[in-house]
Amino acid sequence: MDPKNLIYTGIFIYLSAAASFIILPKGKRYTYILSTLGALVIAVSGLIMMYFQPVKIFSSHIAPGFDFLFKGDAFSGFFIFTISILAFAVSVYSTGYTKNMKNQGMMGFFFNLFILSMIAVVLSGTIITFLISWETMSIVSYFLVTFDRDVKSARAGLVYAVMTHIGTAFIIALFLILYKYTGSMRFAEIKVMASGIPVQVRHLIFIFSIIGFGTKAGIIPLHTWLPRAHPAAPSNISSLMSGVMIKTGIYAFIRIVMDIMGQGPEWWGITIIVIGAVSSVLGVLYALMEHDIKRLLAYHSVENIGIILLGLGASMIFRVNDLYPLSALALIAALYHTLNHALFKGLLFLGAGSVMHAAHTKNMEEMGGLIKSMPYTGLFFLVGSVSICALPPFNGFVSEWLTFQSLLLGFKSQSIISKIITPLGGAALALTGALAAACFVKAFGISFLGMPRSGKAENAKESSIYMITGMGLLAVLCLVFGIFPGIVIEILSPAVFILTGSNGALAEGVFINISETVSAISPAAIIVAMLVLSIAAAVFIIIAGGRKKIKYGDSWDCGIPALGPRMQYTATAFTKPLRIIFRRLYLPKRELRVSYVVKPFFVKSIKYSAEITPFFDRYIYEPVTDFIQRTAGKVRLLQSGSLQLYLAYILITLVLLLIFGT
Amino acid sequence: MKYFQFIIIILLSPLVQGLIKKFKADMQGRVGPGILQPYLDLIRLMKKDMVISYVTSWIFRAAPYIVFASTIAAAMLIPVITIETPFSMMGDIIALIYVLAAGRFFMALSGLDAGTAFGGEGSSREMTVAILVEPMIMLSVFTAAISAGSTNISKIAGSETLYSPSHILALSAFIVAVIAETGRIPVDNPDTHLELTMIHEGMILEYSGKYLALMEWAHYMKQMLLFTLAADIFFPLGIAAGGDLSALAASSAIYICKMVFMAFLMALIESTRAKMRFFQLPSLLGGAFVLAVLSLITFIMMGK
Amino acid sequence: MKDWIQAFSVIDFISVGILLTAIAMNALKRLESCVRAYTLNSLLLASLIAIVAFMIGEAHLYIASFVTLLSKGILIPVFLRRIVKQLKVTHDVEPYMSNAMSLFISGILVAVVYGSLKAGIIVTGFSGNVLQISIAVILIGLFIMISRRKAITQVIGLLVMENGLFLAGFSLTFGMPLIIELGVLFDMLMGVIILGIFAIQIKKAFTSSDLDKLTVLKG
Repeated sequence: MDPKNLIYTGIFIYLSAAASFIILPKGKRYTYILSTLGALVIAVSGLIMMYFQPVKIFSSHIAPGFDFLFKGDAFSGFFIFTISILAFAVSVYSTGYTKNMKNQGMMGFFFNLFILSMIAVVLSGTIITFLISWETMSIVSYFLVTFDRDVKSARAGLVYAVMTHIGTAFIIALFLILYKYTGSMRFAEIKVMASGIPVQVRHLIFIFSIIGFGTKAGIIPLHTWLPRAHPAAPSNISSLMSGVMIKTGIYAFIRIVMDIMGQGPEWWGITIIVIGAVSSVLGVLYALMEHDIKRLLAYHSVENIGIILLGLGASMIFRVNDLYPLSALALIAALYHTLNHALFKGLLFLGAGSVMHAAHTKNMEEMGGLIKSMPYTGLFFLVGSVSICALPPFNGFVSEWLTFQSLLLGFKSQSIISKIITPLGGAALALTGALAAACFVKAFGISFLGMPRSGKAENAKESSIYMITGMGLLAVLCLVFGIFPGIVIEILSPAVFILTGSNGALAEGVFINISETVSAISPAAIIVAMLVLSIAAAVFIIIAGGRKKIKYGDSWDCGIPALGPRMQYTATAFTKPLRIIFRRLYLPKRELRVSYVVKPFFVKSIKYSAEITPFFDRYIYEPVTDFIQRTAGKVRLLQSGSLQLYLAYILITLVLLLIFGT
Repeated sequence: MKYFQFIIIILLSPLVQGLIKKFKADMQGRVGPGILQPYLDLIRLMKKDMVISYVTSWIFRAAPYIVFASTIAAAMLIPVITIETPFSMMGDIIALIYVLAAGRFFMALSGLDAGTAFGGEGSSREMTVAILVEPMIMLSVFTAAISAGSTNISKIAGSETLYSPSHILALSAFIVAVIAETGRIPVDNPDTHLELTMIHEGMILEYSGKYLALMEWAHYMKQMLLFTLAADIFFPLGIAAGGDLSALAASSAIYICKMVFMAFLMALIESTRAKMRFFQLPSLLGGAFVLAVLSLITFIMMGK
Repeated sequence: MKDWIQAFSVIDFISVGILLTAIAMNALKRLESCVRAYTLNSLLLASLIAIVAFMIGEAHLYIASFVTLLSKGILIPVFLRRIVKQLKVTHDVEPYMSNAMSLFISGILVAVVYGSLKAGIIVTGFSGNVLQISIAVILIGLFIMISRRKAITQVIGLLVMENGLFLAGFSLTFGMPLIIELGVLFDMLMGVIILGIFAIQIKKAFTSSDLDKLTVLKG
């Protein structure tokens, strides 16, 4: 079937899903069924787009400057595919998740519009359509962030709106520059004429795209909205925002810098690697300190964007050195991770939503023991955790391995700086991996294992079948894309080919084989080996020791009797060593308040609170906002509230114009 | 033969543990247990009943198998006496580190599963040490990988080794990493159950019987595996290139010498050093990290 | 008749009359006199249009003149007087500054206008003064709005400004197309009505039609 018609069908289904609650009084029920259908149709068209010629979907030229064009090439196709896979699972999940929600209809409306706007962003072929879609996406997501009407959401929404519009300001400036030097609104035409842009201006465009698109992607230090906005939104929306919306920033960055601008100097790639390394390490370090499960996941998005950028940066460096197959390899790593992150981060946010739905808390210190009351959610959350920690044989491992390989191959570039920076980027990635593992041991171990830490956790019930199915789908995909990396690399190659002129040629079924380094892995072999070995071990210990009975008792804990839930290790305690080791970064503060009945013998209560200083908020954003507030306070004197004074401003202006205008 | 060389690690790893203990006892002027004692310990544990806490979930029961299997899977990836390994083609060093990390992940989870304070403490500390060690291991391996032009361990072992300053620096960093990973003094004390110092022991505190045997055995294997890895990467001299018997015999003899040397080195370090306070570790491991960075930079600057 | 008008420069006289009535409003203390001055101002404007219409024989200018007379000369003043009565305010205009000061500033405004538009732009060819005068009237209207406290004087200031604008448009182009002028007039009428209602509402809400009280609305 023609992908054009498929896309039209998909869009129509989405629009009717969005409208269903308006037209039908009981349409709420069908909203998500339609959404899943739409996601399927669009996923198929995305796949087709990846394999065939670019598709021109819609084009209309109203007036100069109002040039509407939507078209898809293999690269857009990949992002459409990613968006719709996640959208599909989240739609299934939402059927159960939104059941008892207030304003269900509103939710369904914005939900569908949100997915549609993201698809529109990646299909945009001109500046004007891109900006319209981009802003629609931002505004709709703003409404979704502030969907729960409380002060916290409103505040998060404000920060989000401000940050995203700062980003958009840079994007508009960037497009204006592009338009000025090429005289065209269409990306394809700009690309042809982009080589004529002066070098200094190209640098400016590069920097503007880092700031503009980096804000959406959430690179450090522009990430500040992310840990606020993602937790504030309902979980199905956080899943979409963290899973795919921030990836539109990556998409646009690749589109502008790597596709349209083509080749840049080497320092572009190095800058991206440095940003990626900083974002990944700091992102995960801040994640470790969070006890709010959704904020923790949101910080991990910063981390994973960093990992994607490491791959992108390596790709850009290779391209400068004319190593096109390596550039393709690094780009595959970045895009593969983009897809993977969409899957496992989507899964984790859905899992967090399921936990919150059941235990009514976001605070990990109040959870515990949930794996017994919520076995499926627990299992799927574990799958997500293992994937995000890049442990074999799940999907995160493959993409991080590819990123490692491409960073290691950096020694093939010409300049000393990139030779040194790339392996150090690899070390940063290793540190990130270890920190992520620690973080998810904490996140999973504290929330799901041990004894329930509060009554809320004790009374938790497993979520509905829709929610479990939604999570299960993503969990299975995490495993499949980990075991059969060949599939993903195969569908990625056309997209990579149009950007780097090479497809890397690494996939060999269940193998990935990098011919440059004779390095290969096969996660499938690892999982088969591990399964066989586990069974062998089980058989062996039965043979060696015979069947022995298992006695159940209390935990031993070196003989401490009557262990209670409050004696367990807490999330705060778990990360204490790191707070001490990285104290220069965290600037931790703690406060111990003891109140006595009779000092110093009888203690009535002890209150301990520990917190870390949010470095970027405190030392970058607060001074800036303070300055703006102060300036605004001064400017405000002009606004006295007196009508006459306002009129006087007009009169003075007029008189001055009359005097100086002639 | 070459397809089953990982069995050497499975079978001989308790022996290496016994050897280290014997060396240590000698240095400390004790008689000490015989070098076969670890085997006897494992057999004893196998035959015992198990006591499992009510609090635990399936994670606790699955973890020993996952840890055990992942360690063997890692062992399959490396060349022991010949560079043709079962997974010769995909014997990737980064994959190996991540397979081990998967085992550690589940071990740390099992520490939290019983809901005890010591288990949580062990997990927390283990993950903290891992955070400090993993980038260092990666970097020191990177130096070797870049000089061999591949991350394939067989390729690294088979390539011409350059004994250069960068190599020495990377090796010292790697030795520190091995000490930390195997839970030895000055990072962890393997012989103690003293609550405040234990890391590895803390995590497996709730295990008994067969599960404990699997955990301990996996730990021995990991230790021998890391020794073998150090030998493969930094002094692969004498490892057989093919599979014919005479070469294998020679290579086995050399391999045994290397393992004895490593065991001796560990015992020496353990006997002459005092255990460090936990929060002094960052200075030791951070120092080793700097060594690894230096090794990389010298390699790139000097080209060897 | 036409020669007469030319010889005695009637057009200049009338336009100066418009300026003078506008300036006079700065010196008047009572609201009723202000309304009366405005009425005179509008009547002069209407007659000016009528005379020019007679001079060049444009039919639609007669209509404009008539409509101006009807709305600005009769309807709006009547409405204003009613508001003044309804508000039951003190009859003082309560300016922010003394009358002398107001007159002085108006003088300066006129001087600025004459200074900056020195040569005068004689677009329509019948007088070199009309454009300057019209702009001066606009500024004076604005100044009335600034210097007076009451809501009702704001309305009068706005109306004076509108007369100035009308005159300016007229002097430049012999009047805009009729339909636009009608629209403007209608707009004006509605504006006055709405402002009047507002003034009454403000009076109710703040027990005063003093605009100073509105500052408390500021966020």
